[in-house]
Amino acid sequence: MRRTCRVSEFFSGESPAPRRVIELRGVWVERDGRTVLEDITFSVEEGTFLGIIGPNGAGKTTLLKVMLGLIRPQRGEVRVMGMAPGELRHELHHIGYMPQQVLFDPLFPVSVFDVVMMGRACCIGPLRPPSRRDREAVRESIRAVGLEGLEKRPIGELSGGQQRRAFLARALCLETRILLLDEPTAGLDVPAQEDFLALLGRLKKERELTVVFVSHDISVLARHADSIVCINRTMHLHGSPQEVLGSERLHEVYRCEFDFLAGKGAAR
Amino acid sequence: MLRYAFMQKALLGGISVALACSLLSFFVVTRRLAFMGMGISHAAFGGVGLGLAAGLDPTWAAGGFCVAVALGIGWLARRGRMHEDTTIGILFTSAMALGALVVSLSHHYNLDLMSYLFGSVLAMGWKDVAAAAILSLLACLFIGGFFKELLFVAFDEETAAASGLPVRFSYYGLLVTMALVVVVSIKLVGIILASALLVIPAATGLQLSRDYRLVLLMAALNGLASMVLGLWLSYAADVPPGATIVMVMFGFFLAALAISPRRPWMLRLLRRGG
Repeated sequence: MRRTCRVSEFFSGESPAPRRVIELRGVWVERDGRTVLEDITFSVEEGTFLGIIGPNGAGKTTLLKVMLGLIRPQRGEVRVMGMAPGELRHELHHIGYMPQQVLFDPLFPVSVFDVVMMGRACCIGPLRPPSRRDREAVRESIRAVGLEGLEKRPIGELSGGQQRRAFLARALCLETRILLLDEPTAGLDVPAQEDFLALLGRLKKERELTVVFVSHDISVLARHADSIVCINRTMHLHGSPQEVLGSERLHEVYRCEFDFLAGKGAAR
Repeated sequence: MLRYAFMQKALLGGISVALACSLLSFFVVTRRLAFMGMGISHAAFGGVGLGLAAGLDPTWAAGGFCVAVALGIGWLARRGRMHEDTTIGILFTSAMALGALVVSLSHHYNLDLMSYLFGSVLAMGWKDVAAAAILSLLACLFIGGFFKELLFVAFDEETAAASGLPVRFSYYGLLVTMALVVVVSIKLVGIILASALLVIPAATGLQLSRDYRLVLLMAALNGLASMVLGLWLSYAADVPPGATIVMVMFGFFLAALAISPRRPWMLRLLRRGG
């Protein structure tokens, strides 16, 4: 199929420098007449783990949606696997996405298996039932996140950490090359957070995934990310965790949040 | 009772409508569209009024009108300027008011209108049965054909959109299907009770299972059994069919509530009482 060629072309072939899986150049986003993102420029290399940090309302989620092509920037250029957002529409099965706190009804009548199968819906296409290959891929994905044996459990009966792993399995059950995770560990206790990150690290290595991880928790990213981008509407820092955490400017950025919480900042 | 043509028509029409409504009710309940169902069915009154006044077939007029209102509600709600329930509250009352005004101005106020409000098997012609069967079949095909997609969107719309699924199509598709199914069920159960068919079957199924396949099966069983039993009771006791069907449906729901595995204390209470 011509469709998958673009992505396999991108990832195959010799390339002297590491491939830039995601590239943003001078991206501006305005929503409802307000600037949400201002002049964002960075790139993510293949197989690396990028952490995006910033206070609440800094535009982190918007940035992920720009990468997914769900929000088109007013200015600037976005390239994901070498493609512009318009071309990306048919290649979304290479991108696994986990939105911020999946707000689902805990009584929704689906099992873990059903939830992970949803991830393949776009590939199976309408009017067709899942094939044996689809079911096999779903089982494999459930095994990869360590939820085997729980396939038939209703999703609402799982613990918070297990639910996140089920959603990760859903994001992984296609030919996933990139994972975009929006605060995937928010609301979990510390051991569950560490479990999730250890799992993520292992999967990234095994499957050569490129991971973009949004969080407002600096400590989580400091230990796991290869590089960190710190944004608060505009980009403040980009570098290795050591560079970013050691920077004076980080405190300036987060200062805004303290001011905001104290009621001194502008309303969101 | 099957000797009578009007009962044959009612049964055939009723069974097809019950099946479509029951399957649809799964998404009405899981996507919290119960109030939307009420809004759409009540809006049909406006369509019926306009149809009577303009000399059109009231059912077809109501069909067009309901689809327009459903799309209008959806469009306003999707634009995010207003909450969905506010939009429904405005549009369905206005549509009913319009119906009442048009009818009173055109001096069509008669018993006919009551049959639209509460349903009447006698009012069903073979044309209505055919319309009910065809639209119900279309609704079932829509739900069956796009089930995976509809399920994903109902569970987690944001991720569904991010994976490239047509989220807007599934929303408007559901609304239009609801409008069409509601319109054909109006002849049988009436405008006021039609939305019950869109809520109670799946609500019953959800009391009994956490597996969508079983929920769908039980919703369909409840819908079909209530329809057949309700029609038979209404014939035997000479009471209005719409109200009887809805009461039977409600009875099944209460029974499911009592034996629901989610409320084992209720079962214990029943056993002790018995």
